Amino acid sequence: MAPEPGAVPGRRWSGHRGLVLVVIVAAGLWAGFELDLDPRDLLPGEGGWAIARELFAHALSPALDYEDEVPEGTRPLLLKALEAARLTVIFAAAAISLSVVFGVLLGFAASTAWWIGDPAGGHGAGTVARRSVRPLIYGVARVVITLMRSVHELIWAVLLLAAFGLSQLSAVIAIAIPYSGTLAKVFSEMLDEAPRDSALALRAAGASPAQVFLFGLLPRALPDMTAYAFYRFECALRSSAVLGFFGYPTLGYFIAASFENLHYGEVWTYLYTLFVLVALADWWSGALRRRLVG
Amino acid sequence: MRSGSASFRLEKACVRYGSEAAVEEVDLEIEPGEVVGFVGPSGAGKTTLLRLLNGTLRPTSGKVLIGGDDLGSLPVRRLREVRSRIGMVHQDLSLIPNLRVLRNVLIGRLGRLSLLGSARLLFFPPRREVRRVHELLERVGIGEKLYERTDRLSGGQRQRVAIARALYQEPAALLPDEPISSLDPARSRDTMRLLIEVCREGGITLCASLHDLAAARDFLPRLVGLRGGRVVFDRPTTELDDDDFHNLYDLAPEEMLNDGP
Repeated sequence: MAPEPGAVPGRRWSGHRGLVLVVIVAAGLWAGFELDLDPRDLLPGEGGWAIARELFAHALSPALDYEDEVPEGTRPLLLKALEAARLTVIFAAAAISLSVVFGVLLGFAASTAWWIGDPAGGHGAGTVARRSVRPLIYGVARVVITLMRSVHELIWAVLLLAAFGLSQLSAVIAIAIPYSGTLAKVFSEMLDEAPRDSALALRAAGASPAQVFLFGLLPRALPDMTAYAFYRFECALRSSAVLGFFGYPTLGYFIAASFENLHYGEVWTYLYTLFVLVALADWWSGALRRRLVG
Repeated sequence: MRSGSASFRLEKACVRYGSEAAVEEVDLEIEPGEVVGFVGPSGAGKTTLLRLLNGTLRPTSGKVLIGGDDLGSLPVRRLREVRSRIGMVHQDLSLIPNLRVLRNVLIGRLGRLSLLGSARLLFFPPRREVRRVHELLERVGIGEKLYERTDRLSGGQRQRVAIARALYQEPAALLPDEPISSLDPARSRDTMRLLIEVCREGGITLCASLHDLAAARDFLPRLVGLRGGRVVFDRPTTELDDDDFHNLYDLAPEEMLNDGP
């Protein structure tokens, strides 16, 4: 039925948005009741108050030296914090390097962008074979990525430590597995969303599928991919610090140890070191991003 | 087709998207080195026609011959060879904004290089090639922009980069798609003059699509009028009169909003 001329077209009820909002709010409330969440639980008990007060009292006065007697020849606290920071960076760097390699490979396999290189645009010999192999590669890559991503690095660490013991490699791999998955997922999306005009122009000028992908499409996605890899490096710093809880000499290890010994000043020293580390990484990746994407 | 200039022949070429016909039963002959314009309203099939001529689109029926080669029967390898000799200047330019001008121009040559060869050309361009790119940029008037990042250039300068890239292909034909649609009148004339000059100098066949009728009549010696995917006229510009153009652009109301693909 044609609308009357001059009448403003009626706004059609698009339905979903309001419904989704209601469901989300309802789910939040339901989860809260189910868990019996009570704001009063945030009030600590008797002993808790003392610990909390003391811990936060030290926030403004982090320790510059050990709070207890230490044996002769122990490295000064600040040097120890620096060393822990160095190891935190090294674990993170090793893990992210590994992740970028696998992330790029899997991300490529899980993207559909490289399918456009097909010079005949779907005509010619070999097309049927190509067409059936591609979705297979795509599907397998997607499943692998999801498997890697669905398990957190701490759980991977538990599994790998049980299997291989407290080796450096277990820690690196524990971080690298979920990080490869995340990088691959995001890389594949960046490749698929990159503007395709230059790739298509390259194809129109006779370039081969590999040339179309490498020189027409990849350069469009590369700045974003690089910036994202740097952001993940920053995340890897935190993960690497937390792996200290398993006994690796990264910042987490010393935070946990100092806390157990009630050396709250030292806890803050290590926390601030981690903070500075992450802030530096953030600043670095920001500067890089401005240059690449800018 | 080797180097030199390309001839084109369309025989009852049709392109259909589903039930919609973008180009219908077009017969067309273009001699080597000719300068031709495709004119007509938006959605008339001008871009589709150019895509037939550069071999990215295959006719649903009918034939497209480039330099005597029937595109429909060419193996993929030969098809790529043919394409590498046709310099398309896309309406959206299709440049890579985050690369330097030099690289964007060098990319024009990839169609004739191996994967390794193209990596070498792009990452370690030999002096000779850099000089050649600089010459081409000088020719189109932006020689000093050789090492500039492409996204720092103005729209007009970017278009010059796209033209230089097409010329670096050492093309047998140049196919600019709406080359002046986003330029002011002075720059439009400048660009038309440049396109025709470089093609005449190199003996390159030129087929440009334009919706700006005045520019087309001023610069192009032969015009092919398209409407609804069909050829309405195909004559030397001097033999066309206002009535021809009036008929071409006199749109029925329902055609106004039909922009075509």
